[in-house]
Amino acid sequence: MDLYVILRRNGWSSPEELSEAAARSTAEGERMADDVRWIRSYVLEEGAGVGTVCVYEASSPEAIRRHAAAADLPCDEIVRVADTVVVRDDPAKAAA
Amino acid sequence: MDGLLERESQLAALAAALEEARTTGRLVLVQGEAGAGKTALVKRFGELARDRARFLYGRCDPLLAPRTFGPVAEVAAAAGGDLAAAVESGAPAYDVLHPLLDELRREPTVVVLEDLHWADQATLDLLRLVGRRADETRALVVATFRDVEPSHPLRVAIGELAGAAGIRRVTVPPLSLDAVRLLTEPAGLDAAELHRLTGGNAFFVTEVLTAGAGRVPETVRDAVVARLASLGPAARGLLDVLAVLLDRAEAALLAELAPEELDAAPACLAAGIVVADGGTLAFRHELARLAVDELLPPGRRLELHRRILRALTARGADSARLAHHAEGAHDAGAVMEHATAAADRAIRAGAHREAAAQLGRALRFADALVPADRAELLERRAHECYLIDAIDDALTAKAEALELRRSLGDLLKVGDLLRMSSYCLWLVARNDDALAAAEAAVELLETLPPGRELAWVYANMAHRARVALDPAGAREWAHRAAELAERVGADDAAADALVTLGAVDAMDGLGATGLERAVAHARARGLDGIAARGIAALAFSAVRARAWDEAERRLAEGLEFTTERDIDTWRSYLLAWRGVARLDQGRWNEATADAERALTIGLAPVNRASALATLGLVRLRRGDPGADAPLEESLAIVAASATSSHRLVPAAVIRAEQASLAGDPAGALAATRVAEPHELADRWMAGELAAWRARLGDPVADPGPLPEPYALELAGDHAAAARAWDALGCPYDAALALAHADDVDALRDAHARLQELGAVPAAAVVARRLRERGVRSIPRGPRPSTRAHPAGLTRRELEVLALVREGLRNAEIAARLAISDKTVDHHVSAILAKLGARTRSEAARLAAELEDGEPAART
Repeated sequence: MDLYVILRRNGWSSPEELSEAAARSTAEGERMADDVRWIRSYVLEEGAGVGTVCVYEASSPEAIRRHAAAADLPCDEIVRVADTVVVRDDPAKAAA
Repeated sequence: MDGLLERESQLAALAAALEEARTTGRLVLVQGEAGAGKTALVKRFGELARDRARFLYGRCDPLLAPRTFGPVAEVAAAAGGDLAAAVESGAPAYDVLHPLLDELRREPTVVVLEDLHWADQATLDLLRLVGRRADETRALVVATFRDVEPSHPLRVAIGELAGAAGIRRVTVPPLSLDAVRLLTEPAGLDAAELHRLTGGNAFFVTEVLTAGAGRVPETVRDAVVARLASLGPAARGLLDVLAVLLDRAEAALLAELAPEELDAAPACLAAGIVVADGGTLAFRHELARLAVDELLPPGRRLELHRRILRALTARGADSARLAHHAEGAHDAGAVMEHATAAADRAIRAGAHREAAAQLGRALRFADALVPADRAELLERRAHECYLIDAIDDALTAKAEALELRRSLGDLLKVGDLLRMSSYCLWLVARNDDALAAAEAAVELLETLPPGRELAWVYANMAHRARVALDPAGAREWAHRAAELAERVGADDAAADALVTLGAVDAMDGLGATGLERAVAHARARGLDGIAARGIAALAFSAVRARAWDEAERRLAEGLEFTTERDIDTWRSYLLAWRGVARLDQGRWNEATADAERALTIGLAPVNRASALATLGLVRLRRGDPGADAPLEESLAIVAASATSSHRLVPAAVIRAEQASLAGDPAGALAATRVAEPHELADRWMAGELAAWRARLGDPVADPGPLPEPYALELAGDHAAAARAWDALGCPYDAALALAHADDVDALRDAHARLQELGAVPAAAVVARRLRERGVRSIPRGPRPSTRAHPAGLTRRELEVLALVREGLRNAEIAARLAISDKTVDHHVSAILAKLGARTRSEAARLAAELEDGEPAART
């Protein structure tokens, strides 16, 4: 399993929609526990709505896309993470 | 421990599945690491549900080559009747399926199959077949297994079931820190430290706790060993016997194997290393057995195997088990006897993986065999290896057999082996070696009286010629094969030649009737492998012609046939080509799913190349990471196996696409110069090549006749070309045709289409072209948040709502859409909220009103 960054720009028009999406993402993630593991997300302010940058551990980019299709999440771009460099911990964690 | 910690949700899930199974059967997959407590969970479920269903149990053993239908045989024995008869008769999975389904329909039943990571191929085949039809029964099948690598046969079998309705998954995770704390409080140990050390592994935790305060063991093995410390030599002796026995043992057997040590059984039970279960003694857990097993000195182990072999032979135990002990006892004669018997059993049941393993085992002890017998054993092993796609092993065995046959002067067999080696060499893309072997076979067999072997060589040569795109050569060889086959009564070779002739006709555009007739002919004679080849050829030509309806139909037919008859090589081929079909239709998620499945099943390079290309192209077109590796591997396979420059053309167009998306038009152009379009027999390929040449600024003067969409694009009418592609159902090709037009409208259209497909790199290239033409407002991407629906329902929510209006319950919707029940729950809540409805029926009514009446204000 490799680590991937997923961009979901402008995915939702409100934070409420996003938390519905998060619930679906968790539900589908349970079904695909061997293939995708949601690590963390940053919620992006997009003006007319919100988007996310997500970090997932996954067996392949296709697994990420399958998960997104099942959970009805947008999936603009997938990039493989070559290395993780933590300089400081996040200042505050948002609940998943 | 009385109750189980942190297993409420798993028990609830099992109970719910059992309830559902009263009307429609369920398969629950219980997954967890070794020692997580899967058996404990299932046992507890059994206690709780005892009165609600009949329970049947089956277990798998950690044998190198497990017993054919091991756990199924236990279940069948308990159930009796037709099912027991079917399993005992040695029938393959397909024939056991129906008695099993009947048995599972009769009354509410729970079938527990444990440790399926050790399952034999016949059991896995049956699981696949049952899993797809679980909803036809009234049974709950609970299958437990450990995490295994993606290429493990169990994962492949489960992957096949992924989309089926009626499958549920339960994971048994490690214990949390809180749970460990609850357990350690009375003992006064450091919970955090223990949790860190054990990772929350239930077995490990209980081992440590039982060991008590004092030195905390570092590994599971140390923990078990610590328990052993308190036991005397008699107890250790008993445990040694049990460890090598690999199975529960009745008192009578133990009395025979360990007469002096049996008295120590209570001590072993008290120490908690073994458990008693209905008159048998067994290790509490496989991890405990392993720990004891690892401590056995080799001499003792060998002696135990000997003793056990004697005792079990007298009891008529399963030959796979006897072969295992015979090997451990270094008893060559016994290995030979039992391994070959186990192989025969496995072959009859279609468990070719186990058959190959048993025959390999027999060969390791075959020094005493005369050359002819050894050669026969090698030939059998080679055949089994071929069937499970372990082609390199097959070739090794054939080579050794060939030398033996040659030394025996059995030229007929030598010729036949050369022929079969040739076929295998072709499968691993060693084309030059394959041709050499085939020619040697022809030369040799033509010096002998003509027979079946020679007919087969001719048939193989025909097949090879067709694959090398030499229709005239293929026809010549095929006619020679058919004529000789008829003369010598070699029905199978004749059928094979017929298939090749039919395929050549289809390739030459003479229609598929000949091929269909050849397939029917082969099926009628039970020649499954040959029929599969014909069905594959039918599917292939429909895919190449882009006749999607026909292609999907042929592919479905072929996949069902090859799945039921367990013909993995052709199943993987069909999956790979369905991947190509989906790729061309723009169904990219499905394309990669098929390609991935083909890659896990099939190892033959010939099948790998197209699946790898599909995977690589989807990643390339989406801009996803990891496009290069599969494409490079695919191109390398094709390059190594190319017998003419024409075979390099598919690679050339891939390189052209790669280079053009990477902004390297010169490289792309160079790639396309590998052949001239007018030379190619495949006109679609000619069109693709000619189109790329034109797009890259070096049009071909006279490409020859081309399929309509390519002809239109080359004539400069990109919009018409796109319409032609649309009519064929090829969205990416349509977008590409527009993307290379000059006018802004076409480019805008191309950009929108490419974004819709998720073809990010190509869309970016088109966006650049638009900007170069002064166009400013280029849309950034499809906005999932922009809704056309009056109440702001998304596409997925509309899908769910449609099914709600049909009256489906959430579980049924989940099965239909292949998503989880919880996800459907969330969608339904969102739908109700957006429509302002309180119930599903109200939502259905409101939705209907919205459709008929005026739309409400847009979101």
